Amino acid sequence: MKFWNEVIKGLWKENPIFRLVLGMCPTLAVTTSLENSLGMGMAATFVLLCSNIVISVIRNIIPSKVRIPCYIVVIASFVTIVDLLMNAFAYKLYESLGLFIPLIVVNCIILGRAEAFASKNSTMMSVADGIGMGLGFTLGLAVLGIFREVLGAGTITVWGDLKMTVKGMEPMLLLILAPGGFIALGLLLGFMNHIQNRLSLRKGKGYVTPPTLDCRHCVMCKWGEE
Amino acid sequence: MKDTIKLIAVLVIICAVAGSLLAWVHKVTYEPIQETERKVRNDAMKEVLPQYDNDPIAEAVAITADGGEWTFNVARMGGKFVGAAFETTSSKGYGGNIVIMVGVNADDAVQAVKILKQKETPGLGAKIEDPEWRAQFNGRSISETKWAVQKDQGDIDQITAATISSRAVTEAVKQGLSVYTGNRAEITKAAGEAK
Repeated sequence: MKFWNEVIKGLWKENPIFRLVLGMCPTLAVTTSLENSLGMGMAATFVLLCSNIVISVIRNIIPSKVRIPCYIVVIASFVTIVDLLMNAFAYKLYESLGLFIPLIVVNCIILGRAEAFASKNSTMMSVADGIGMGLGFTLGLAVLGIFREVLGAGTITVWGDLKMTVKGMEPMLLLILAPGGFIALGLLLGFMNHIQNRLSLRKGKGYVTPPTLDCRHCVMCKWGEE
Repeated sequence: MKDTIKLIAVLVIICAVAGSLLAWVHKVTYEPIQETERKVRNDAMKEVLPQYDNDPIAEAVAITADGGEWTFNVARMGGKFVGAAFETTSSKGYGGNIVIMVGVNADDAVQAVKILKQKETPGLGAKIEDPEWRAQFNGRSISETKWAVQKDQGDIDQITAATISSRAVTEAVKQGLSVYTGNRAEITKAAGEAK
């Protein structure tokens, strides 16, 4: 099942937030609450899926010299369409996400998947990749959103109506402010790496810090492969 | 040369397709967007004005005063002036402009205030949106209230740890009210003439 493999890889092995560390700007900006995280995740998933489909369909007629402008036009068009449709038919969602939707245009995940995947694979596979990456992004945002909202505001909100308050603790306001985003992301990345290391150790391939640790030699993102 | 022409042609075609698609979506969504925007403003006015039966958005009185443009939306009940709503902006907040809608009634008192837009610190300054805090503006006489926070010897109770945000809101309300008082005759007269 190649299709499902492409979907599943986005959830953990190539999770856009925790493994590929892509799209950090919207990630840090919107994860102040679970509600915002889910909304942003779904909007980005929709745009990613649409742009992956279109780009994989026209991949053979785009000359490689102008491929980036073509991708940007396709992505920006879909973002504007989402923006207009949401404004017209889902105003409540638009109210909380309106600011972040234009951010999707510069979301590296979408351009990254267009360049790295959709431009080289069939439409079917690109659909799978779009769904997987989109869900992985949404999942990552939701985890961060829950973490920050519970600890930072002491609540969990889903669409305004379902609001739960966590009792018995003083909210740590720092976590829903901008620095808290970096702190929470760092803690969760460390935690994910720790789990990954454990899994690798179990397979007998523990992580050894390379003597010259830089981006070219770091193999953190390759653990447990093969 | 041939390559260059091909590049240009492909880009132009893609942009043209994208452009026409966007034009179509815009056309389809234009009406609903206008409708929701109207509804949102209408709902805000319902919150800050006494009961009325006209369309305050249609009865706007524009006034230039205090270095800015002000729009007063007049509410009437059975043709009689019952109040006016206006938007006032403060640039003294902690995170960008705060836009406030203020409603005054025929007794020259504030009916209610509503925060339309703010980017204050969540959990601190953002508490200016809390109905409990905003409720203290309700029913305050324009002339007999000292429009300042208590820290500045005024009558408005500031939010603990968010004096700057509270002060910004109070000052913006005060500024708007002084424009209203200064042009009261014109605003209420315009209301009478409309009917």
